Parts: sequence; structure tokens; C-alpha cells
Amino acid sequence: MSIMQYNGGSVIAMVGKDCVAIASDLRLGVQSLSIATNFQKIFPVTDRLYLGLPGLASDVATLHERFRLLTNMYTIKEEREIEPETFAQLVSSTLYEKRFGPYFIEPVVAGMQKTPSGGYKPFIAATDLIGCLNFAKDFVVAGTASEKLFGVAEGLWEPDLEAEDLFETISQTLLNAVDRDAFSGWGAVVHVITKDKVVTRKLKGRMD
Amino acid sequence: MNSLTERFATTGYAAELKRAKDVLGEEEDGLDPMWGSQAGFGNLASGVVKFNIPTVPDPSAFLRMHTDDFADPSCRIKIKHGTTTLAFRFQGGVIVAVDSRATAGSYVASGTVKKVIEINPYLLGTMAGGAADCQYWETYLGMQCRLHELRNRERISVAAASKYLSNLVYSYKGMGLSMGTMICGWDKTGPAVFYVDSDGTRLKGDLFSVGSGSTFAYGVLDQGYRWDLTDEEAQELGRRSIYAAGHRDAFSGNTINLFHVKEDGWKFIGNYDVSKMHYDGPDNTGGYAYELRVEGKSSANPPVTQ
Amino acid sequence: MEVSFGITGKGYVLVAADTTAAHSVIKVKNDVDKIIELNPHLLMAYSGEPGDTVQFAEYVERNIRLYQIRNSLPLRPPSAASWVRKTLAQSLRSRSPYSVNLLLGGYDTSDYTPHLYWLDYLGTLVEVPFAAHGYGSYFALSLLDRYHDPEASLEEGIETLKRCIAEISKRLVVSPERFKVKVVDKDGVREIEL
Repeated sequence: MSIMQYNGGSVIAMVGKDCVAIASDLRLGVQSLSIATNFQKIFPVTDRLYLGLPGLASDVATLHERFRLLTNMYTIKEEREIEPETFAQLVSSTLYEKRFGPYFIEPVVAGMQKTPSGGYKPFIAATDLIGCLNFAKDFVVAGTASEKLFGVAEGLWEPDLEAEDLFETISQTLLNAVDRDAFSGWGAVVHVITKDKVVTRKLKGRMD
Repeated sequence: MNSLTERFATTGYAAELKRAKDVLGEEEDGLDPMWGSQAGFGNLASGVVKFNIPTVPDPSAFLRMHTDDFADPSCRIKIKHGTTTLAFRFQGGVIVAVDSRATAGSYVASGTVKKVIEINPYLLGTMAGGAADCQYWETYLGMQCRLHELRNRERISVAAASKYLSNLVYSYKGMGLSMGTMICGWDKTGPAVFYVDSDGTRLKGDLFSVGSGSTFAYGVLDQGYRWDLTDEEAQELGRRSIYAAGHRDAFSGNTINLFHVKEDGWKFIGNYDVSKMHYDGPDNTGGYAYELRVEGKSSANPPVTQ
Repeated sequence: MEVSFGITGKGYVLVAADTTAAHSVIKVKNDVDKIIELNPHLLMAYSGEPGDTVQFAEYVERNIRLYQIRNSLPLRPPSAASWVRKTLAQSLRSRSPYSVNLLLGGYDTSDYTPHLYWLDYLGTLVEVPFAAHGYGSYFALSLLDRYHDPEASLEEGIETLKRCIAEISKRLVVSPERFKVKVVDKDGVREIEL
């Protein structure tokens, strides 16, 4: 049993038209034993930026605390909030700092990035557990159900989905993928981020 | 060695039996040891098919090396496992309830597995461990039970059927068979449940649960079990216990298959989706979910202010 | 085999832990108290590697005490849980990690809410309405899904706890025979005889 599968859990992020969505399951388990149905894996960083942390539950909490510290320090120093692209680099270098004793987490970043013209463009990225960045234009997945998520997302995702359609697509992708994974599931949460608001919904999923 | 000398001997019990078989035109030797004692059952028809065995010094170690995904997750052949099954005896017969999930590693390979094997109209077998092992041998047991009926003009007892299976799997001990099964039925003695596994254990009892989720099922089952349960209560208890296991155990779930064995044989009660049990319950009168049961309740006790 | 349970109810948290100290197949002592009182409204049940358990529990106790002396305010349960988690997570990546699993039960006197936290030696922290550690969790969690009531009176809570203990006595091969039970509520911590 790999340490990456010890607690279970999965995260997915998708790009839509002027929006991004990030979703995760809510299970916390110890191998086959499910402990809690309310384990948060996605955390807000700013009003337009969310971070998903699937992997070892202890490191979920540790990294959440660490990134909260780092982004607060950034905000104080720079007197502005961190942008998604910058944050992705911060995530990458924070993970690489522990190259020889890594955090067992594969983070997913999703947010709306400010453009020089003053608008916003969707941004998603994921890294492996030592910080190799993967900027995708469509979707990124991570966690114990990642193979299954890839399969379903390849089939369902299409370019330029409106916020409501993107919500439907990411929800169906997540729910159907985690139903094929023994270590993910037990409810799900979805955040759809647009330039001026975030819509968060809890999904009713299979509880087995 | 003993069996070898017996086979070629011209006197003694075995030789007599062999001559009787020649007369009757039965060509293959039945595997007598399966019946425990050879007495009385010596005229059984053809025995078990012979299996091909890999030509390596230790076949069972070879098999284990390539199939044990718990010890080595990267092994090439992942045998499907992970299960919750239960059966219990009560005043109104036997309740048999199972889940329907099959997993290979963390992959949910199927959610619609039939883990109750209908051996004959009076006998049920449950399936935990190797799916193929259980399916094959319990089907085979069904054939032998039918032959027993034809020969003896009466139905086989649950004790005898389970003993046959137990002796059968015991003869393969150490070869990598993996089964944990309950043989349930109704015979002259009334309702009966026997636990049989591939170690060769065979136990008579009132209540058993087998599989990765069995502990969770026991938790609910033991607390709700009484001999004088009504039929409805017993069915509900079986269903509720498998739900509990499906909920807590990652390797169990999807749907519940429920059977009730009475004097006139077994009856299939129904197939229930675990997710539907969670949210709505068996007849839409309320789900089993903890979250629903405690909805709106709070452990806080602020002082009452006037 | 060590077993511990935690159950919340209306205005209280019940914490129970077995009382055996075992070395290989020998029960060395059968009245060990594995539930430490961290402050007047905070309890911690510990299990795991012998040696580590008591050392860690006392380390936590002293630090919580120190906080209270420095700030003249007790640490509230969520903050205490967070601190313990951080300590365990740091220990995990040190040269000799503490192998200790914990249940942290506390009563928050400022918002009148009982809290129960499940922590393991990796530094996993989660707040739950009921919890268990050890093999007992495989039997008790399904049972508690069925019988736990967040608004149960103390008497009802004790009945539910007795069900859990009865179940593991029935099914666990080497089940502990005795349990120490403590409750924390608005009046503080006290021990309960089953």
C-alpha cells in the first residue's frame, strides 16, 4: 500500500469560458476504513484562487497551514493578493524544497488570472509531489482516482463551457470517477470560480 | 503412497469398489476422500476434473507471487476480492445478505457481482475471497448435491453438503484456493448455517459474517440480533448490516442482495442499492444515513436564557 | 490490543480507553490510566508505541499548562487539537517520531460546545461526532453510525458506550476486560464507573 493511497481522496480542476472549476471528494480513510465524510481538501487562497491538496491527510493540513503563511507574507510584502500563476510557482518551489523527503501531496491550483489589459483569464495547474508543474489548457486531475478521472474527463470535457455547464461537467466527471475508486467518494464539493464570484456546492454522491 | 497401492491392489475394500464401478460402467474414480469417510458414498460418479499445474518447483508460491496484490501492489494478476457477506439463523429461517462490489486493487471492477450462489432450491452459498473459486466449487457442489438426491432419494442435509465442500477445498490446501463461504439452507433438522473456508475450517453456527467488511456488519448485527426476530425484522437487520459495511468499508458496497430461506426453500427478497438505502431507505420512508438521522441535532448545550 | 472510544453527547464528551499495559503476550498491568487531563475541560486518550505514549502525553500536558500560565487563558479545544496535530506532524519527519494515536475530547466553555478530535501518529486531524482507535474501530464505527445520538443524555451516552464495549468483548480475539471512562462537560472532567 502506497503512502499516496493511505488516506484516499481525489481532486479535479477544469477550464471553462471565463471561469474555472475545482472539485474534490470528502472522504478521509485509513486504508479500507472510512473515518470521516467531511474532510476538506480544497482551500481558498484568495477570492479568485483555490488550492486542492489530495494525498496524505497529515500533509493536507500541514501544507494548508504552510501556504496560508506564505500567501499572508506575500500579501503583506507586496501589498496585493497573489495571482494564480505566481501561486503555482510558489507551490512548486515549496514542494521542491522537500525534494529528498517530500510532502505526499499532488496539489491542484485553479483560479482566475489577471491579464495586463485588466481582464481575467482562467488558470489551472497541477504538480507532482516534488513540484513539477503541469499547466493544462483543459483539465488537471490528482489523487487516488486520477486514472479514472482522466478517462471520464477526456470523454466529457469540451472547450468554452459556460459556468453552469462547467459545473455539470466537473460534477459528473468527479462523481462517476470516484464511484470506480474504492478510496475516493463519500460526498463531494465543487467550486466554480468566475471573475467576480465563487459558487460552492456540495454534491450528493454515493456513500459507499 | 497408500492410494497408489490401493489402486492396484486386487483385494480389499477399494478393489471391490473398483470392480463395482467397472460393472456399473463408471470410468473415473471419484475422489473419495472428499466425503471424509469412504463408507456409504463409494459409488459416487466421476470425480473432479484434473487441473493443469504450472511446471515449477513450488506451484502455489508461483501463483501467490503473481496474484498477491496486498503484499505487492504491482503484481501482474489482480484477483478480485473485498466483500461483505452475512448469514444468520433465527426463528423464521435463515437470512442471507451480501454486497455486490468486486475490487482489484483500488479499482472497483464491478458493482453487480452475484455473491449468493443458488446451489439448489434449498441451499445457498455465499461468496467471499476468490470469486472464481467460490463460483466454480459451489456450482460443482450443486451438481454433487443433485447426484446425492438421485442416489438416495432424499435431499442432502446442509451439514453433509458443507462437509463435502469443506473436504473438497481441504484437498487443495496450500495450492492457493481462497474462499470464505457460508452454506445455508433448510433440511430435516430445520434452518442451518455452516461456515466453510479454504483453510478447511467448517463451523456450524447461528450467525456468521465473512469478508473485509464483516467487522462492520457484526457491529450492527450483534446488537440487533435475537432468535425471535420476525421475518420483516430479520430481513431489515440483514439489509441494515450490509449497508453499514458498505458505508464504512471501502471494498464493500454498491448493492445488497437479500435472501430468506424457509422450510419450502429459499426466496430472493430483493436487490437494494446502498446509495438508495443511505438516502431513502428500502421503502422510501427514511434513509439509514447517520447524517439524516441526526439532522438538525446539536451537541451544544448553551444555558437557557429567559 | 489497545482500544479507545470517544462519543459526544448533549454538552459532553465521553472518552474510554482500555487499561492494559502489555508486553508481547503478557499483561503487565491492568489498571493503567491512558486518559490524561490536559486542562479542566480537555481530555486526551492515547495509545500506540509503549514509552512514546506517556512521554508525548506529558509533553502535551505541560505545554498546554504553559500556555495557560503565560496567557491566563486556557487553550480552547480546536486550538489545542491544532497544536497537538502540528507537534505530531513535525515529529513524524524527525529522527525518532512519536508513534501515538490520540482521541482529544474537550468542552468549549465559551460557546458551550463539546468537541471530539481523532488524531493519528501521522498528524491526521479530523473532528468527528464519535471516534475509535485500534481494532475496536472496525466494530464500533458501524455500531455508532446506527446508535449514536448527538443529543443523548449522559446516561444514554454511557449505554451506547457499553454497547461498543460489549461488541468488542464479543468479537475481538484478545479484548481488554476493563475500561477507564472519563467525561468532560461544563463542570469539568470526572471519571465514571461503568
